[in-house]
Amino acid sequence: MRILIIEDDLEAAGAMAHGLKEAGYEVLHAPDGEAGLSEAQKGGFDVLVVDRMMPKMDGVTVVETLRREGDQTPVLFLSALGEVNDRVVGLRAGADDYLVKPYAFPELMARVEALSRRRETGAVATTLKVGELEMNLINRTVHRQGREIDLQPREFQLLEFMMRHAGQSVTRTMLLEKVWEYHFDPQTNVIDVHISRLRSKIDKGFDRPMLQTVRGAGYRLDP
Amino acid sequence: MRLPRLLRTTPFRLTLLFLALFAAAASAFLGYIYVATAGEVNRRAQAEISREFESLETAYRQGGVDALNQAIVERATGERPFLYFLADKSGKRISGSIEESPVANFTGDGPTWASFKVTETDMDGAEVKAAAKGVQQRLEHGEILFVGADVDASEAYVRKIVRALWGAGALVILLGLAGGVLISRNVSRSMQGLVDVVNAVRAGDLHARAKIRGARDEYDELAEGLNDMLDRIERLMGGLRHAGDAIAHDLRSPLTRLRARMEVALIDAENGKGDPLAALETALADADGVLKTFNAVLAIARLQAAGAAPDQKSFDASELASDMAELYELSCEDKGLDFKAEIVPALTIKGNREFLAQALANILDNAIKYTPEGGAIMLRARRTSSGELEFSVTDTGPGVPEADRARVVQRFVRLENSRSEPGAGLGLSLVQAVAASHGGRLELAEGPGEYNGMGPGLRVALVLPRVE
Repeated sequence: MRILIIEDDLEAAGAMAHGLKEAGYEVLHAPDGEAGLSEAQKGGFDVLVVDRMMPKMDGVTVVETLRREGDQTPVLFLSALGEVNDRVVGLRAGADDYLVKPYAFPELMARVEALSRRRETGAVATTLKVGELEMNLINRTVHRQGREIDLQPREFQLLEFMMRHAGQSVTRTMLLEKVWEYHFDPQTNVIDVHISRLRSKIDKGFDRPMLQTVRGAGYRLDP
Repeated sequence: MRLPRLLRTTPFRLTLLFLALFAAAASAFLGYIYVATAGEVNRRAQAEISREFESLETAYRQGGVDALNQAIVERATGERPFLYFLADKSGKRISGSIEESPVANFTGDGPTWASFKVTETDMDGAEVKAAAKGVQQRLEHGEILFVGADVDASEAYVRKIVRALWGAGALVILLGLAGGVLISRNVSRSMQGLVDVVNAVRAGDLHARAKIRGARDEYDELAEGLNDMLDRIERLMGGLRHAGDAIAHDLRSPLTRLRARMEVALIDAENGKGDPLAALETALADADGVLKTFNAVLAIARLQAAGAAPDQKSFDASELASDMAELYELSCEDKGLDFKAEIVPALTIKGNREFLAQALANILDNAIKYTPEGGAIMLRARRTSSGELEFSVTDTGPGVPEADRARVVQRFVRLENSRSEPGAGLGLSLVQAVAASHGGRLELAEGPGEYNGMGPGLRVALVLPRVE
């Protein structure tokens, strides 16, 4: 997996590169928009991490240029804290996901991971299968070891997202964004309660738990 | 000191310009009056003299010098207001009512006009000099005839008119100047108030305000605009300063704690004891808490600075309320709270969905946090009779005493009994900021009263204006 970081803050980029390398990614860093664009145009990256404010060329222009040229490499857009409009601007430019600085590293990791694997599940599937867990997307049923599990609609959506990102860490913010489709910061851990309800349904009575809590990051569904 | 400054003012210069234009128009008008009155008087006097001259010339042409002489003698003794003088070829007087011709150095033959003075005796018997005018001409056979008239009355009339015209001109200039000074001073004084305020603000006094004189004119309008602007700036700066102080105050302890933990972990790691990993994890959680506080403060500040929430769109508020109910219901159950939602379907609203969701989430967070086990929470979304959209969350917790309700909305304010709960005290401030940025308001009221041995509870309502 190759990641291109286009970011002018060298220290932030260094920390990010270090963390991503530790996680087994191959990382390249471009210190400004122009260098980043020409590097990205060479191709071969699985994910681009693009900062919004940069010298020479800003992140929005970089992403817009790539998309215009037909480059569909997933882009994670970064921007400074508190710019309420930046998310909309970034997504409109063609970014696939968005993260506000300063971010927790597990949050960045989880999003990069989700983006890097996205293309592997490009085909439209009617069933999802993770280990013993099987999900039928047509008649909306879930079975584990052949036993049917009764889920509420939201629990179904939650599990579907976890199954599509099986083996990856998924943060609470990601779940709120992708399952509930809200972008805000819940003060208490409302998501945890939903996860534990889901966990009690898919793991209770089975020999081995599948839905894991990842300390400091969120959750992961293991096969 | 006042005058030179006044001369520099724009209104005074404008006044001078208008005065010059007005004076030009006035002099044209007065000039016309002069020509039409004084000129006419002169012309009429000359015409009468000419007519008299012609009638004498007719007598001369018909009866020669003798007939003329006789006519002059007759006329001079009559009531006619004319003066006569007749001389022979050499200029020697033949007859007339005056002793010599007022025309000095008469050389030519043609009519020569002259202005002169005659000495008359007025009604009191005193001798007065009066203005007179006359024409002299050589007759067919060489005699010289002069006919004049006392024009003193008409000259006096003309003089009066000229005096009146000069007076009018002077009055125009004086009144214009006085008016200009008055207007300039008035305008300058109005402007001076605003200039003083601007200077005071520039010098750093943000409390300076322009005086509204109550004239409801454009200066009052400008002053009001200036004051509104300053109010807003002051409020924003106050908010920022308060936020800065509050952040410093509120972040100092978690940051100090974070630093201490890391220090202890470092020492422990050096000595090969303790669990540095656990210490780092707690440190990370502390840092996350600090970041959350930062996020909330910044969101509030941005909303307040922007005035209106960005990206406002029409959407289904009932759906938003249902989503929040669904999101928080489990948390309530988890804590042993009875949760109910009463949501009127298909309520449309124009606003920023994310901020409104955040606001509702904050209200629900608070309700869950402060309501003891066995309590109840009710979420309602409805349209009030006045057409406003109201989201309300009622809990059966201890509530907030009326005296503290305004205070809990302020940033970082946490009541004594809530200090043990996690949170930075920004929840309701953000709700307030979201409400204000949508033209709405946040209302705090007493809850349902006694409930299961607790109460009186709190009712928090986010009220948004009706959508036209």
